[in-house]
Amino acid sequence: MDAPALIPRSVPPRQLAWLRTELTDWASDGLITEEQAERIAVRYRPGLGHARVNVGRVLLYLGGGFVGVGLIWLVAANLDQLSPLARFLAVALIWLALLVGGETLAARKASAPVVGAVRLLAALGIGAVLFQAAQSLQVPAFEPRLVGLWSAAALVHAYATRAYLPFLVGVATGVGWWFSQPLWDEPSGLAVVLLFGAGAVLATSLAVLHDKRIEAFAWTWRTVGAGMALLAMFVAAIPDVGSDRVTWGFWLVVALGAAGLSAVAAAVTRPGIRVLEPAGAIAVLVVATLLGLWQTGTDTSSVDAADWAHAAVSVMAYVVLAVGLVALGTVREHPPLVWMAMVGLVVFTTFQSFAVFAPIVTGAWLFVVLGTVFLGTGFLFDRARRELAHALDSDDTNSDSTGADR
Amino acid sequence: MKRTLTTAAVAATQLVLVGVAVAPQLSARATGDTYLMRVAPLDPIDPFRGAYVSLDYPDLRHDSSQSFVDPGLGSLDDGQEGDVYISLVEEDGVWVADDWSRRRPADGPYLACDDRSWQIRCGIESWFLPQDDASRTEDLLRDGAIAEVKVDGRGHAAVVGVRAP
Repeated sequence: MDAPALIPRSVPPRQLAWLRTELTDWASDGLITEEQAERIAVRYRPGLGHARVNVGRVLLYLGGGFVGVGLIWLVAANLDQLSPLARFLAVALIWLALLVGGETLAARKASAPVVGAVRLLAALGIGAVLFQAAQSLQVPAFEPRLVGLWSAAALVHAYATRAYLPFLVGVATGVGWWFSQPLWDEPSGLAVVLLFGAGAVLATSLAVLHDKRIEAFAWTWRTVGAGMALLAMFVAAIPDVGSDRVTWGFWLVVALGAAGLSAVAAAVTRPGIRVLEPAGAIAVLVVATLLGLWQTGTDTSSVDAADWAHAAVSVMAYVVLAVGLVALGTVREHPPLVWMAMVGLVVFTTFQSFAVFAPIVTGAWLFVVLGTVFLGTGFLFDRARRELAHALDSDDTNSDSTGADR
Repeated sequence: MKRTLTTAAVAATQLVLVGVAVAPQLSARATGDTYLMRVAPLDPIDPFRGAYVSLDYPDLRHDSSQSFVDPGLGSLDDGQEGDVYISLVEEDGVWVADDWSRRRPADGPYLACDDRSWQIRCGIESWFLPQDDASRTEDLLRDGAIAEVKVDGRGHAAVVGVRAP
């Protein structure tokens, strides 16, 4: 009896191209015959649907984002054809319809991108409701707490329904509030450093707390934490960023308290090697604060030993942080951390070179010095990356052989 | 059923958060009495809520600053920051500040404000209206205006109207 006709499975074009390259290599190495390679290859076909799904997803999310932002702008347009109460009721009805509609679609197992787009609209819609209520009742302009409450509302939606796009809205607005609320009361360079550092501690601790529970949320918190850590060190290394003394306003203390509590929660509930992440973020907070407090003067026309020492320590601290993030990104299979660390290091060394060394090394020499700095850090970075990858490969081989033995 | 309850809980919680955002103004409008105060206008834009006239209250200002560069209610300059209470007294048909205190007055009327930012804020500093009206209102009120403010028993205040004197 003939074997039933094989229906080729649809796979993304990039995966198929990779498979065909590998099959050619295996056949040329004699691992498999040409016939076997051909028989494997015909089991798969390029799936155009994948591209269509991605385009559809992007358009749906983009459309949801545009309509949501448009809704908020309609509030800002202050349409006087309707009374303030009528405007509030209209916006609230739209938000409620989107919230209920999104969850109804989710319950009926509708297409994930469609559900995501409607949930995104609902998360932006609650922002419109909030701003419309504030506008109708003449709450003073530029109140940071309105953005904080919008963030809280979006996060309530996200956590109650495990919805990722409302979560992103909540995190984005939450990050905005995290800085605007304390800096509204007490703006200073050192406060910015403290907020970036505390933000890194909070976000990495939350990432650890979410691991194995809500992976998508953990991924986002980890990315936010890494970004905050890189920015904390970057801002702290700006000469004389801490020249204005920090005033311990209520919200700055709350931010540091929240960071501390989250780190303790992560250490207590997820003990073990995972705790290294919040511990690393705490180290970043401490080092960044000390760097920010280290004053070397603002005179850019002369660079003395203190300026050199400040720049050298800053660069070293930043390189250590970048290498740490590359290691974390490799271990966690989280590529954005690796890219953020590499881009951050390039921008950081460029900035430091111009900010500190430019007054004494000008013109062509500046490029030579800068290039040398890049080559040096690049060499060290690449070597660290290769050694780390080698060490991880060795660990994998050992664990595989142990597993095979069992 | 569970999803319906979850959605209802999300909607209710979000509406509570909206209530928290506007609680002082809502309370003042619902339960407050009306007071007339002199105001001077400015005209900026809030990116989320549109055009508004920024209201300055010369009769509530604590320090003697009359600068156009830095208008506002001033600050207490007592080395502290937090709640500030402005007791009101009627003078020629409008209400003006009689006393500034860190302690809540035993009786009213008074405004519950705070000076955690760079100056005292009482929640009555903005008057939102359509873009065209905002610039017209600014021109109309350039020589000063009267704000109609509702104030409840706890000092929460909300602007309910602005007009020429």
